[in-house]
Amino acid sequence: PSRAQPKKKKKVDVRKEQAQKERMKKKLKKLEKAAPELIPIEDFITPLKYSESNRVRSLPTLSPEESERRVLLLKKWCLFKQKQDEAEKKAIKALVESQQEALRELRLESEELYEAAIRRDEGLFPFERDGPSYTPPLPGYDPPEGKCIDITKVYTQ
Amino acid sequence: SAAARRPWRLFGAMCLLRLPRITQPLETVEEEMAALMQQIELEKSHYSDHEMRKLEEEEQLKRRKESFYDEDEARGKTVIMAQDLEEKWEQKFLQFKAAPRITDADKSNDRTSLNRKLDSNLMLLVKQKIGNQELWLLPQVEWQPGETLRSTAERAMATFLGDHIQAKVLGNAPFGIYKYKFPRAIRTENNVGAKVFFFKAFLQSSDLSQAELKADYLWVTKKELADYLKLEYLKKVNRFLLD
Repeated sequence: PSRAQPKKKKKVDVRKEQAQKERMKKKLKKLEKAAPELIPIEDFITPLKYSESNRVRSLPTLSPEESERRVLLLKKWCLFKQKQDEAEKKAIKALVESQQEALRELRLESEELYEAAIRRDEGLFPFERDGPSYTPPLPGYDPPEGKCIDITKVYTQ
Repeated sequence: SAAARRPWRLFGAMCLLRLPRITQPLETVEEEMAALMQQIELEKSHYSDHEMRKLEEEEQLKRRKESFYDEDEARGKTVIMAQDLEEKWEQKFLQFKAAPRITDADKSNDRTSLNRKLDSNLMLLVKQKIGNQELWLLPQVEWQPGETLRSTAERAMATFLGDHIQAKVLGNAPFGIYKYKFPRAIRTENNVGAKVFFFKAFLQSSDLSQAELKADYLWVTKKELADYLKLEYLKKVNRFLLD
């Protein structure tokens, strides 16, 4: 028949286990309190091997004509882009005006058609489209074998 | 307001656009700028692994020629040089032949084909009978009570291209309007003229073989519109077309 001795062992064990659990909980709380580590952006960290000095490119210095040409080209580019931007804005303005005029005329015609026209089109967004490429797709093209395995590291906080 | 007598007849027209498949050619300024940007990027960069390898192998070759070192040659292993790799890649690239940017339809100026002018927007024009004239127009049908103008425009598209057309209509609101009065001969109290509301849609499917084209049709760019449309109509249409 079991006596008091084995029973004491069980009680002590239970207390020891409880103390252990509390210690674990305290450790967990401490870890959680610490601020979460920021996810490193791998593109912004240059690997050390690229900062070695023998990697520096040796090129001839720019002649004054070359630097002059570059500065003038940049100025031409600036003007070109400005004109392009203005043309775009003008086109968009014309588009909006045209639409406003159309809606005004529609309103003069019938209120219900106008209401139907200014209702939001839920199916329009999100709108996805592949952009243009340099050459059109080649019909029946079989790309050479080989596949790319994505090895980007995914960090979780 | 549904009971009020409106003297204008309403039409819904659809401007169906085939979006460009290839990039537009660059202007000279753009090309020069692109070259300059590449040059600057090259100047500011460091050597890559491949270039380091090439430099080291060049050094090795020079050393081998200058000091008749037998040890390297005695190894008997064929080492692939970076230069050989580059030549191999160049050969492979030259073997590839891309599809031409100027297609056969471009050369023959076949305006009914969708494969023409791959770098610009193409619009659908159909020949319709208005009154007693046959005119080139954006496909339009008359509005019927009980439908919205957008559905009228979609019906116009379906009338000329069949039901299996896949197009994304850009919203419920019309993009432009063309108003005209009927000639005095047929003008009445209740029928002063017509208002044509234009809607825009992007063509999604590039394959129109299933489309049953019921009338004369053309796919034209914005610049070519002037060849077909009347002046007043063209002015209104040009306002909502971005080139």
